[in-house]
Amino acid sequence: MANKYAKPGEYSPVEAMVAHSARFLKNFDGKKGLIGTGLPLVASQLAKKIYSPNMIIFVETGQADANPQELAISIMDSRLTYGSSWQMGDPEGLFPLSRNEIDFGFIGGAQIDKYGNVNSTFIGGDYNKPAKRLAGTAGAVDIGVFAKTTVILMAHQKRRVCELVDYLTTPGWMVRKWPEGTLVRREELGMQGGPSCFISSMGILKFDDTTKIMYLDQYFPGVAPEDVKANTGFDIDVSRATEAEPVLFDEIRLLREEIDPLNIYKMR
Amino acid sequence: MKKSKVVSLREAIRLIDDGDTIFLGGIVEDRRPVAAAMEMVRQRKKNLVLLGTCSLSDDILVGGGCVEAYRGCYTSNGAFGISPNMKRRAEAGTIITDEIGHLDLSIGLLAAMAGVPFIASKTCIGSDVLNPAYDNLSRVAEVAAHKEMLPNQKYVLMEDPFFNMGTVQLVPAIKLDACICHVQMAGEEGTVRIDGSLTFDHYAALAAEKVIVTAEKVVPESYIRQDPNRNCIPSTSVDLVVELPWGAHPGQVYNAYDMDIAFLQEYAMSCASQEGFDKWAEVWIFNENGHEDYINKLGASRLEKLRARPPYGYVPRSKGGVQ
Repeated sequence: MANKYAKPGEYSPVEAMVAHSARFLKNFDGKKGLIGTGLPLVASQLAKKIYSPNMIIFVETGQADANPQELAISIMDSRLTYGSSWQMGDPEGLFPLSRNEIDFGFIGGAQIDKYGNVNSTFIGGDYNKPAKRLAGTAGAVDIGVFAKTTVILMAHQKRRVCELVDYLTTPGWMVRKWPEGTLVRREELGMQGGPSCFISSMGILKFDDTTKIMYLDQYFPGVAPEDVKANTGFDIDVSRATEAEPVLFDEIRLLREEIDPLNIYKMR
Repeated sequence: MKKSKVVSLREAIRLIDDGDTIFLGGIVEDRRPVAAAMEMVRQRKKNLVLLGTCSLSDDILVGGGCVEAYRGCYTSNGAFGISPNMKRRAEAGTIITDEIGHLDLSIGLLAAMAGVPFIASKTCIGSDVLNPAYDNLSRVAEVAAHKEMLPNQKYVLMEDPFFNMGTVQLVPAIKLDACICHVQMAGEEGTVRIDGSLTFDHYAALAAEKVIVTAEKVVPESYIRQDPNRNCIPSTSVDLVVELPWGAHPGQVYNAYDMDIAFLQEYAMSCASQEGFDKWAEVWIFNENGHEDYINKLGASRLEKLRARPPYGYVPRSKGGVQ
């Protein structure tokens, strides 16, 4: 059985991130998830094939129990419509969140901070003249507010995994109380949920039960805890970390041969 | 039969006034009124306030200089990157932006279609969407010709007095001067049938003062009324109808055609600069015969490859679809 595992170099860091995300979705077999655009769509397809075949996918453009026959390239791709139980519009796609029906949200983003807040709006400069304008809120704010928990996936780079996001799009554990803008625990504003896991291209990161600050839980084979420290924008705790189970050849084969044979998502 | 509402694209777009608060149907690259947006650029519409999202069709309006302010929740062309004209103008500080959430947009339009002033929800609690320093609503209102279409303030926070849900946000109605939708089928009197996601069209059309529908096919009203349960927008809410095959190209229309990937990639690259957009517009927008020239320039063989293959509603990759 030794050869069921792939070695670093036989897959890309992005493929490892997607494979581990799919594995994490094992926790949500039979549960309802609202899946965001980009790599979460890919990881959820892999999860449905091997880890959580009974996971129910909702999409913010109004598909209930989506069962795409092939990989969608955006959040309103015709590929998400065919095979779904119900196809309405964006309001009906989002109301399951606000009526508390969604067990987990699964999103990407451009920046994540130590409290698991995610930014997908702008980076650098000022809101009125940003250095880099991004996609904006879309479903990301709603998922962060309403889902019973969130799972986040993002490439691990020093500028992305930071002390505090430039713009708080998706509320994590410490959020902004307006009008002052002070950081408070989400429970204080009557918000349930909160991020359970951040899966990066280097490892699996979780949030301390007491402080709600991100720590390294597992690092991928070929990555050292020191590498994670060096690529994180705040002083991250790596003392509890263990090495993750290696990536399976089977996961890579499914990604490459069945899910994204044309490498649309440029994972490799 | 009652009066037909079918007119030419040029005539329909004359209904849009400078300074209108406008919403375009569909989302990202799906069922977007691209041909209608191009006609607005041709007619040099000015000072529009764009509500909703800024993707394909909306981004053409931004590049064409028709839009000065945007209130919405999404500024990306999905897999083809951040909407290039919006990105450029936002980063240069030459367009006013005001963020709202995706659910804000849903319940704001719901409030407008129901005729109520606001709906309470937790939508953006805890996020920077509620940051007063980023609240540009009053600057947006300065652009709008009809300022009464915009609320006096962005939101109000209060404690839920009914179910003890904690802090909730009062989200004001999103009122619209105009809504333009591109759909698969419309009757001559304006009844609309949509396949695939309805996106916000079934709300926005009922929330807007003026509604233009462009359709892949216009059919006799009696035909579309044989199955009213399948219809998504009533004729009573539609002002003008235009028959416009391939009116959402290079985006997709469920059961009609799939995305033109090469064209979308070319758009993303061309429009990184204003000169690039202007050059692109010379080729694709400023044609003597408008949409007809656009379609002829694309050519039958290119378009035929995009036609949806039943039963899927798109072109499966095994049949040469989206790659």
